[in-house]
Amino acid sequence: MSEETALPWPRVVDPSAGSPADLMARVARGDADAFAQLYDLMAPRVYGLIRRVLRNPAQSEEVTQEVMVEVWRTATRYDADRGSLTSWILTMAHRRAIDRVRSEQSSTDREQAVAAASSITEYDEVAEAVTTNLEVEQVRHCLSSLTELQRESVTLAYYGGYSYREVAELLDAKLATIKARMRDGLIRLRDCLGVTGR
Amino acid sequence: MTTPEVHALTGPYVLNALPEDERTGFEAHLADCQSCSAEVAELREAANKLGTAVATDPPPPLKARVLAEIATTRQLPPLVKPDAPTTEPGLAPAPVRRRFNRRSFFSLAAAGLAVAGAGGIAIDQYRENSSTRQENEQLAALLAEPDAQTARGNLKTGGQATIVMSPAKDRAIVLLHNLPKLPADKTYQLWLMDKSRDLHSVGLATTDESKLIQGGIIGKIALGVTVENKPGASEPTLTTATVIPMA
Repeated sequence: MSEETALPWPRVVDPSAGSPADLMARVARGDADAFAQLYDLMAPRVYGLIRRVLRNPAQSEEVTQEVMVEVWRTATRYDADRGSLTSWILTMAHRRAIDRVRSEQSSTDREQAVAAASSITEYDEVAEAVTTNLEVEQVRHCLSSLTELQRESVTLAYYGGYSYREVAELLDAKLATIKARMRDGLIRLRDCLGVTGR
Repeated sequence: MTTPEVHALTGPYVLNALPEDERTGFEAHLADCQSCSAEVAELREAANKLGTAVATDPPPPLKARVLAEIATTRQLPPLVKPDAPTTEPGLAPAPVRRRFNRRSFFSLAAAGLAVAGAGGIAIDQYRENSSTRQENEQLAALLAEPDAQTARGNLKTGGQATIVMSPAKDRAIVLLHNLPKLPADKTYQLWLMDKSRDLHSVGLATTDESKLIQGGIIGKIALGVTVENKPGASEPTLTTATVIPMA
């Protein structure tokens, strides 16, 4: 299996397009074709993350659309010196998802009604399957190297969309402990994954 | 808050697990703490690997909708690097920098007001992207109005409030800075006072934020800030009120 087909986003990007950073530079100059290619690269990560946090497929689609349009709108402001493109985009995606969680906690009923009425739900089962690949394996491996409290603190916040107070409540731990476990958990994850902030 | 305590917030911050008020406070700290910014950048890369790990193909029709929307969406202009800040006589940079929070400081530069020492201000480019970006632009546009006026004052309850208003545009932006954190059942509430000294509510506010007020600016003579029980009051609690005259 070639490395390319092992990725969960196997649509092949025009090899002449160059790196995501090159694509982004073209997007910043208003190139819609480059944006379409960037979409193919990034939308699965954006949608996957938002979906993981929000669960609701209709809402996840809506927020994914917002984020991808925001990527287009603010492409000129991306600064490669300050972090990877994926991280920039996923940071936006995560924030939007969390904003949605916090602002709509009270209107869950309405959202459920919207979801039930949406035809998107049919697509649901198909979309659920995430292709395994090296990166996913690596993340899984590194997560398993965290202590249980670190892992739960990090994943309840990141995937669960909970605030640290809510996480502390769920794990029956002190606020200061949870804050610290989130930090040292991420530090261990960083060291295991060998990522840098640029 | 002690330094190690603030530093421990990098984790919850990167995970977006801080409540709004603590997030704002931490971002203010980030602007002055280089080691924190570096750590945030690294931890953010690590956290976002968790995002990549759950990649899922979106429903195919979404792409067409996104492409259709970008076709009608104007892109923001690039930020022009502030490598040649010029100082205009008569505009003292230091007080401007102190009185305005980090976000609005940035907007002043964007509005063409020259400010010295623009380097060294860390702006969280992620926040810049969405709501803050929009706020900055709104503020810059308002400051550029020929009839723009600003007024500011210290609140009785602590912190500062600044109002930038343009009666011609019937718009105002209120910037709040360093307001003390309130108990969970309390909120700040903003009011505009008319000539007969009646206060009209223009919304609730948290500790550190900017609020756009559209409409109802004409004929108003002062900004009022009070502390009220949630979810806000129809009549101001005058014992907590600070009134900042606009003229």
